[in-house]
Amino acid sequence: MIKLENINKTYFGAQPLHVLKGINLEVAEGELVSIMGASGSGKSTLLNILGILDNYDEGDYYLAGKLVKNLSENQAAEFRNKLIGFIFQSFNLIPFKTALENVALPLFYQGVNRKKRIMMAMEYLERFGLKDWAEHYPNELSGGQKQRVSIARALVTSPKIILADEPTGALDSKTSAEVMQILREVNASGITMVIVTHERGIANLTKKIVHLKDGVIESIEENDPDKMDFTKEIK
Amino acid sequence: MFNKDFWSEIFMALRRNKLRTILTGFAISWGIFMLIILLSAGNGLKNGVTGNFADRIKNTYTIWSSSTELPYKGHKAGRFIILNNKDIQFLESLYEVEEVSPVLSKGGTLIFGEKSRSVSLEGVKPIYKNIQGIKIIEGRFINENDMKNKLKVIVIDKNTNEELLRTTEETSMIGKTVYINDLGFKVIGVSKGMAFGEMGQCYAPYTTLQTIYNVNEYYQLTFTTKGLNTKEDNETFKTELKRKIAAIHDFSPEDQRGVWIDSEMINSLETMKIFNTINIFIWIIGIAMLISGVVGVSNIMRITVKERTNEIGIRKALGAKPRSILLSIVMESLVITTIFGYIGMISGVGVMEIVNIIMGSSGAGVNTEMEMSVFVNPTVDINIVVMATLVLIISGVAAGFAPAWNSVKVKPIEAMNYR
Repeated sequence: MIKLENINKTYFGAQPLHVLKGINLEVAEGELVSIMGASGSGKSTLLNILGILDNYDEGDYYLAGKLVKNLSENQAAEFRNKLIGFIFQSFNLIPFKTALENVALPLFYQGVNRKKRIMMAMEYLERFGLKDWAEHYPNELSGGQKQRVSIARALVTSPKIILADEPTGALDSKTSAEVMQILREVNASGITMVIVTHERGIANLTKKIVHLKDGVIESIEENDPDKMDFTKEIK
Repeated sequence: MFNKDFWSEIFMALRRNKLRTILTGFAISWGIFMLIILLSAGNGLKNGVTGNFADRIKNTYTIWSSSTELPYKGHKAGRFIILNNKDIQFLESLYEVEEVSPVLSKGGTLIFGEKSRSVSLEGVKPIYKNIQGIKIIEGRFINENDMKNKLKVIVIDKNTNEELLRTTEETSMIGKTVYINDLGFKVIGVSKGMAFGEMGQCYAPYTTLQTIYNVNEYYQLTFTTKGLNTKEDNETFKTELKRKIAAIHDFSPEDQRGVWIDSEMINSLETMKIFNTINIFIWIIGIAMLISGVVGVSNIMRITVKERTNEIGIRKALGAKPRSILLSIVMESLVITTIFGYIGMISGVGVMEIVNIIMGSSGAGVNTEMEMSVFVNPTVDINIVVMATLVLIISGVAAGFAPAWNSVKVKPIEAMNYR
């Protein structure tokens, strides 16, 4: 599903910052992978490249068999819209739209008509227990609810891959556990998932842990999340 | 692209961001509103003042008797020059002169039944009505028939008319006979205004008064001209005329006084010049206001788009194409500026219409003593208003376009992390 070959990325500022130094990584379809590392290790940059939210300088990135390189804005938009679902630490919901409208938005950009959009969005909100909150605005929702809305939004287009950047970073431990449970269920339904985190407890719930340090992959650790005790706090 | 969904997205965004929408809209509405008020007021002033001259024909001259201020050929300064029949003959001999209407002035007391009133009686020709812009509110002015038959008919002024009718059963003076210096005149018309103070102003046929009084002294001669179309023509004619009359009456051609010659054409051109200056002034203020409106709207648009950078980033992450984002921002600003521009336009025109109606019914803006209007029909050319509105709309959209373009061009992750 994802294949990275020698990805390099430098931020050219006052002092050039070489954040990714030759990343090689493969993620198969249906995998649940976490990328771990300290802040500044390049993990968020890597995820942004995977999501075509940022570009890279060297190497090749194949997504679902297609080379993602020097795409036009329109092609990139199409890739993001059809193949990728995003989950962010800060949720990135549009504040002046209701939960329902937020979830329906990606479908608007797919050209789905309003009636069908609302129907589908409602279906996903219902799946995550947010039916009664559909008409609420983001500032009327709790952190866990907001993250569930954004998960619904990521899934509504039936993407091939979900990219989550610190999905539990803004949540308390109990809500974190709930959100991770949802993400694991989503993955179980066959959707490939890459989660960036700096918390070991979160990484332990994934099947493959990629350790990133100073822009290089230090190690890739196989993990069996089913061994984990869910009754224990994950932080 | 421009389907129902697209529009509902735009109106939803505007509704959800009421403050932003209202602020932007207010800037637009206010700019247009003030521009209309300003231009209308300027037009009202212009219409009012020029309207006073509208009934006068322009190609007229008046010569007034006056005293000299330079000694000449043994005559002392201060000699009073009185115009006479020789001047009339001279004027009638000139190619440029069309028709001469001497003004034969007689003071007297007008008597009607028990009532009496001091009046100035002027013997004039029918053309005098147009030369002076006399308005007839009842009956008619002197005509050629009155002139030919030297009829003893009279046109009285409005105040005299009211005075004579007061405390009587009568409703009209037309057809009644009034007496001036023991001579009976039949009233044929009532004129509006031109009376100063308590003195009435009456007109009788020139030929009638000439026969009665056999006058050879005039304080005022009026005449119409032909072929003098420009200011230069008139200036030349006026100088030449002054020189010749000076020769007839033996006073210095250099004398600034002696007689006064007044050209309606020159006067009206001078008046127009003043109004053109006022007009330019109003336009400068108007354009300055429009510019400040444009700056205000542009700033709000710029800040609005900056504020929305995050939202733009999110939309891009969700798969929005640059064109769709750009289009929706541009259309949003277009909708705001158009709606509020229209509101400003309607309210500006509406306010001026109301002012117009109130002033029309209350008579405000009209100087009653002089029967002169100073402020009439304060409205503005709708094309100018529409143009100004379009300028604001286009500048508002253009101002929003540049930052929107930048936000769309930037990488989605940078837009999302923009603070």
